Amino acid sequence: MDHNWDFATIFTNWRVYWVGLQGTLLMFGVTVTLGMFGGLIIGILRYMKHPAAAWPARAFVEVFRNTPVLVQIIWFYYAFPILTGIETSPFLAAALGISLNTMAFSAEIYRAGIQSIDKGQWEAGKAIGMNFAQTMRRIILPVALKRVLPALTNRGIEVFKMSTLASVVAYIETLSQAKLIAELNYNPIESYTAVALIFFVVLYPVVQGTYALERVLNRSDR
Amino acid sequence: MEWSFAPVIANLDILLLGLLNTLKVTGLALSLGVPLGLALALMRLSQVRPVSMVSAFIIEFFRTTPPLVQLFWFFFAFPILFNINMTPYLAAVVTFSIQSSAFFAEIFRSGIQSIDHGQWEGSKAIGMSRNQSLRRVILPQAVKRMIPAFMERSIELLKTTTLVSTIAYTDLMYQANSIAQSTFRPLEVYTVVALIYFVLIFAFSQLSIIIEHRLAKSGEGTVN
Repeated sequence: MDHNWDFATIFTNWRVYWVGLQGTLLMFGVTVTLGMFGGLIIGILRYMKHPAAAWPARAFVEVFRNTPVLVQIIWFYYAFPILTGIETSPFLAAALGISLNTMAFSAEIYRAGIQSIDKGQWEAGKAIGMNFAQTMRRIILPVALKRVLPALTNRGIEVFKMSTLASVVAYIETLSQAKLIAELNYNPIESYTAVALIFFVVLYPVVQGTYALERVLNRSDR
Repeated sequence: MEWSFAPVIANLDILLLGLLNTLKVTGLALSLGVPLGLALALMRLSQVRPVSMVSAFIIEFFRTTPPLVQLFWFFFAFPILFNINMTPYLAAVVTFSIQSSAFFAEIFRSGIQSIDHGQWEGSKAIGMSRNQSLRRVILPQAVKRMIPAFMERSIELLKTTTLVSTIAYTDLMYQANSIAQSTFRPLEVYTVVALIYFVLIFAFSQLSIIIEHRLAKSGEGTVN
């Protein structure tokens, strides 16, 4: 291990990382928002009794949960434009792949949350004259969402890590910027260690927050 | 737009070779990652504080950094640091073994912790040491509860191995890229490859659901 550490180039190139981090944050923001909201809709559809709602939702969930997200991103980048004639930019292809994947995973989380609510709650809602949508919005969802909050936060952490896959289709984010620095300065050790540290520093407090959140919710729920 | 699957069928042997390599990396990473995960879990549960802190740090670090960053680190940085030759295959196995061991460690830990404390006391009362109680009494019960979480993680691992295509290991995804480039048929190639992954992973998922139901029927609780 007679390696001459060269972290100086990392600090002089901090703007390059900063540009990358902005790309990561943009990708995360868009995909986590679409994934969580879209997932809620699909989760509710999947819960509904009517087969015209439940079956397409189930098919969607199975397809996007049972294929690797990298395959989805690459499919949207190279195959989707041929099929539809719509050109996909690196951002669009990665955002589509990660969002749809997240929608499928979070749909299952929402569904589990909704199913965990006691049947009596539905009956009570019906007894005082609420329809399905009203009961769902006013009674079931507030409790269900609280229960699935830790699982959703975990999914959010996964989405943040997944954003690095966008570099494969040449979207500019933290990892692709680190690769650039490594190639320009011949310092892969420092540049890749720096990315790992950036992700660790961002996500470690979030993970610790999730543990705390789980403890608080466990106490208030039971 | 006209579909033409002939180029895909003509290159099916190349795809199958890729699939074989995908399964090879997954299998090897599993067989190294599970024992390593158990070791990390036991270290984390250790009464000696520095030991449990080191293990906790390793687990959290590999759980909070993206697998693609880890793979690049082991492929591009690690060989320079330790002056060894690194192949895409070796980098893939090392990365995914360590990465999945961090997740397996948490599964082992929650499994072991889910076992009632009386079991430890019971085995102590009949004269077993800590190691003996762990091996003979605690782990056999804990492992049974861990099976669903364990299978879910293995499926995740199978999906994550697609990343090795980025460092030019000839897995299914890499073969797809090269066939798509040589035949100019990305739509058919990537659709077929997505289907292959789907069939494989869907089958494993259904299997794990069946096993989970069996375990639920046999009256065993499970841990996440």
